[in-house]
Amino acid sequence: MTLAGAPTGRPASVTIEGRMFPTNRGGLCKKGWTAAELLDAGDRIVHPLLRQPDGTFAEASWTEALDQVADRLADSRRRFGADSVGVFGGGGLTNEKAYQLGKFARLALGTSRIDYNGRFCMSSAAAAGNRAFGLDRGLPFAVEDLDSASTILVLGSNVAETMPPFIAHLAGARQAGGLIVVDPRRSATARLTDDGGGIHLQPTPGTDLVLLLGLTHIVISEGLADEQYLRSRTSGYDAVRTSTNAWWPERVQATTGVPVAQLREVARRLAGAGGSYILTGRGVEQHVDGTDTATAAINLALVLGLPGSSHSGYGTMTGQGNGQGGREHGQKCDQLPGYRKISDPDARAHVAAVWGVDPAVIPGPGVPAVELLGELGQPGGVRCLLVHGSNVVVSAPDVTAVRAGLTTLDLLVVCDFFFSETARFADVILPVTQWAEEEGTMTSLEGRVLRRRQAIEPPPGVRSELWILHELAVRLGAPSTFAVSPAEVFDELARASAGGIADYSGLSHTLLDTGIAAYWPFTPGSAGTPRLFLKTFAHPDGLARLVAVRPRRAVSEPLVGNTLTLLTGRLLEHYQSGAQTRRVPELQDARPAARLQIHPATASRLGIAENDAVLVSNTRGTVRVNAELTSAMRHDCVFLPFHYAGDECANLLTERAVDPISAMPEFKRTIVSVTRAGVLEVTG
Amino acid sequence: MTAQPLRSAQPLRVVLVGYGPVGARFVEGLLDTVEGGTVALTVVGAETDDAYNRVLLAEFAVGRSTRDRLETTDTAAARVAGVSIRLGEAAVGLDRVRQTVRLDTGDLLPYDRLVFATGARANIPTLEGLERSRRSRLEVSPSAERMDRGTAPLPDGVIALRDLRDAAALRTAIESRARLVVLGAGVLGIELALAAAEQGAEVVAVYHGDIPMARNLDTGGGRVLASAARRAGVVMAPHSRAESVLLRHDNTGRAHFDALVCADGKQIGGDLLVLSCGVSARTELAAAAQLTVSAGIVVDSMLRSWDDVNVFAIGDCAHIVERTDGDAARRGPGERPSSERAPAARIFGAPSGLIGPGWRQADWLAASLVREATTLAGPAAAAGAADAAAATSAALPSVLAAERPSVVMLKAEGVDIVSGGDYSADLWDDAHEVTQWADPARGSYVKLVTEGGVLTGFVSAGCPRLGAELTLLFESRGELPADRSSLLHLDGTGAAESVGSDPLAPHATVCWCNGVTVGRITEVVAEGQRTVECVGKATRAGTGCGGCKGRIAEIIALAAPVAAI
Repeated sequence: MTLAGAPTGRPASVTIEGRMFPTNRGGLCKKGWTAAELLDAGDRIVHPLLRQPDGTFAEASWTEALDQVADRLADSRRRFGADSVGVFGGGGLTNEKAYQLGKFARLALGTSRIDYNGRFCMSSAAAAGNRAFGLDRGLPFAVEDLDSASTILVLGSNVAETMPPFIAHLAGARQAGGLIVVDPRRSATARLTDDGGGIHLQPTPGTDLVLLLGLTHIVISEGLADEQYLRSRTSGYDAVRTSTNAWWPERVQATTGVPVAQLREVARRLAGAGGSYILTGRGVEQHVDGTDTATAAINLALVLGLPGSSHSGYGTMTGQGNGQGGREHGQKCDQLPGYRKISDPDARAHVAAVWGVDPAVIPGPGVPAVELLGELGQPGGVRCLLVHGSNVVVSAPDVTAVRAGLTTLDLLVVCDFFFSETARFADVILPVTQWAEEEGTMTSLEGRVLRRRQAIEPPPGVRSELWILHELAVRLGAPSTFAVSPAEVFDELARASAGGIADYSGLSHTLLDTGIAAYWPFTPGSAGTPRLFLKTFAHPDGLARLVAVRPRRAVSEPLVGNTLTLLTGRLLEHYQSGAQTRRVPELQDARPAARLQIHPATASRLGIAENDAVLVSNTRGTVRVNAELTSAMRHDCVFLPFHYAGDECANLLTERAVDPISAMPEFKRTIVSVTRAGVLEVTG
Repeated sequence: MTAQPLRSAQPLRVVLVGYGPVGARFVEGLLDTVEGGTVALTVVGAETDDAYNRVLLAEFAVGRSTRDRLETTDTAAARVAGVSIRLGEAAVGLDRVRQTVRLDTGDLLPYDRLVFATGARANIPTLEGLERSRRSRLEVSPSAERMDRGTAPLPDGVIALRDLRDAAALRTAIESRARLVVLGAGVLGIELALAAAEQGAEVVAVYHGDIPMARNLDTGGGRVLASAARRAGVVMAPHSRAESVLLRHDNTGRAHFDALVCADGKQIGGDLLVLSCGVSARTELAAAAQLTVSAGIVVDSMLRSWDDVNVFAIGDCAHIVERTDGDAARRGPGERPSSERAPAARIFGAPSGLIGPGWRQADWLAASLVREATTLAGPAAAAGAADAAAATSAALPSVLAAERPSVVMLKAEGVDIVSGGDYSADLWDDAHEVTQWADPARGSYVKLVTEGGVLTGFVSAGCPRLGAELTLLFESRGELPADRSSLLHLDGTGAAESVGSDPLAPHATVCWCNGVTVGRITEVVAEGQRTVECVGKATRAGTGCGGCKGRIAEIIALAAPVAAI
């Protein structure tokens, strides 16, 4: 998008216009059109705030605030070790901030305890992509490539609400009758399959993996596999074929609730003429078997011979503003810039050389987000936490436990521009710049590095996170340097990423400002890589790896009485924890409160009418909202948006169980009971 | 093989008799412990092929699938892991006192734990002309080759579709455009008839009752199936009690199938007769060793023989039933069952004949033996055992969970039939709630039986989505919506779109990107915005992906017809 108006004025003089760009073609959704309102929102924090003994906050000078933070961090490190300080980052931070935060944690704090909210978002798809292709870039092709496809299989993504302009890229497939949407809800995206646009498969929650095994089974059984491709470009096919042999269509129907005829139709369609793409979203990834499910989607794509061609492929759609770049440059607990592994001696040596330090000072791998949050206040765990671009008391699973963890900390420092729900727990709040007030880069879902340019001056008293990290690093006596200028930080990031998987070494702000379409890997002198894998995949042998996966047996509780499966997700009007969108009146007025989506027949069975107050509860907590009756739901599940706080927070109910490979929590399959509020629960 | 670390205990010796899909699954469950040296596993399989998936045998036989699609296990990998797999050999004797199994080769296999996964063989009906092919129920065959036949093999042109050789014969027949006669219209017979017809074969399905799949369908469901099968090109021959097989002899004197003769005198000629008359568990070896057998080898909910704690059975040969005679103390090996105990005929139930329960039994028993072997091997081995195995056994329930009544689904393209539980209740039955829907002309029929809102039995014919949902509801014991008719909408043309389907209703969304409704656009048109662009400026409708601009124009035209002209 583009901001028009006085270039250094305040928002009152700023208007938003769509920018002609391949991803959105000049289109914006409601969230984009109203984004300028955030710049001047009423509770914008414009001074550092320090918690007082009486529990209130008082304004403080930057020097006072930073001195206090640095002293307390140094003290904690001295008394309890470096790992007593933790850092929690965010997928909305610019590449420069994400990079600098990772470096700050490792060098200035010396801690291994850093992870970020992308763990709740992209981690399963990332793990599956790395395992299969040796590399994780959301779309290994340019988004416009989708336009000419005749079949697109979208699994667990409601892109029509979460990223509406994207649906223009589905138009070609809809025209050809080939948009296939897999979602337990008849979502806005699923409705795009109406009127001959394609097929909506509505499996029961938690059975996506079996569905994918079944589709792969049919493709192989009906002789639709690309045997030539499998021989020349992949390894591991035999084991995958054998593993899918046990999932014949009728068995898959009995598990998923998707009829055999639909399964066959979809399998045949995917193997048919014209380009085919398979895209996954959080709906299939945010599960305890999310990595295996994404792997099963990749296996299907590989059996069909899709990845690494100019007209077909597999991709995953990122959820956050910088969901791609945010997971490449060191915010992850096991990662160094350039998507390098922190445990790899060569990677450590390279990055240490760029940083001008001995590799030995870089800590080893830390722990992923849920485990990190679980360590808060525990003996030997994290005692001080810095939070950047994240609202964990709304977005993390089992927020009651997270809230409890935060209260046990010696020190909580929150960098934010609003008084978010997490900021309310802070000891120190440091106000930072937001999107239109800063320079930087973001990397899109297709691995394209985009410039963010400053349009207006930030309010006086607000500072960039790069400046804050610099100031703290100096006070902590950190080795290396911590540049304040985004362009300078980017240049260092480029050097640190050189030779890594996500290689930005040929890029600079100056080059990006020429308007080039820069897809990584982008080495000096190259033109970047819009399409990956055309000749080889990123594993040393150049082959893509099929990995046999099997569903782990879930002991499913009988869904009787008022027991139902809870799904969580997004609404059109809101974004993530709602910390921003709930502050935009137009968005908030459209969706002022969370509502529980429930099928009318299920509601009637439970004595619930439209707008009735309901309690959604399990052993972890209770959510109080009003009901919204919609036949878009299956009979056996209910839906809550996760944008809301307090009693409406969906993550009061989700559990801390995680995927063993990606450490992704289970967000999409929670057992709850639903009752009309005011009705006494009869037990026994 | 690498040298095993020194351990205090010897490996637990497990012998598995039978290497079908259930046996293979059991082997997979033990692989880690075999590799780790805590279990020594020997497998005896009568067929010479590696284990394969019998469920898909008909698909393969009619040429709709390839041989490699029947593989569900990696036998080579099991051998590499150290499993001794002896194919083409038969267990012919069991000495429970010495704990040895005797093979047809003469070898003796000592065991600590013996597992039967011998499966079931096809029944050969009592038809004149096939007498010598029927085997006596309790006779232990002297060799692998003769395991499933009587004194003579079946004549040429007569098969029971049970193994790869049968499948090969059927495949040849279909390729040569032979006419098939399928005797028996159970689920397997009908599946085969439909699959063969789909491949272009001429098929007659012969059965003695009124409807096909009589054990799994009520009259309504059966009728719908029969007409669907006829539409698919299968000649259905109900009320036909087969009595004899007419054979013709070629010039070498070799007998070949010619026709099936029914009690009413009707002769049904063909090139290949496929017997689909049910199966019986292979229990003769167990019976000869004085183990209780009924419809299968009788085992408790820990899959242990009633008579011997070291002997187990899984899959189609296992008849699971808790002991009912009050004789809690288990006899030691060699001790005969007391004569006072309930005779076998009074033991209820039977093996389900389905793969799902068989696999669950294999998983459970393997995990249970892993736990036992790991404990026996002592803490050193336990620490060295794979974490996964340890985790599995820690979470292992102490007895195998009881199976729900089975759901039976017909595997046939374009014919959607599924049923489960007890659907026999009458529509006006007071004890149950029964819901019925029938539309024979369009080939759909549904019957639901519920108790307290929970589905206890159902038949669904010709309703693919409903059938699939009912299966889920039945298996999860889920509660049906109070409005049963909402279920029928699943296969309706409007799918779940009963509410808000009018695209011009005021609350209907036009622009998804910006959440703009028809009502909002009508409002601004009334205020004077008469072009798509103006409406876009006023409401942001059409300023996202732009896909709705056509509809916005329509709404403007409807709301302001004069202005639009």
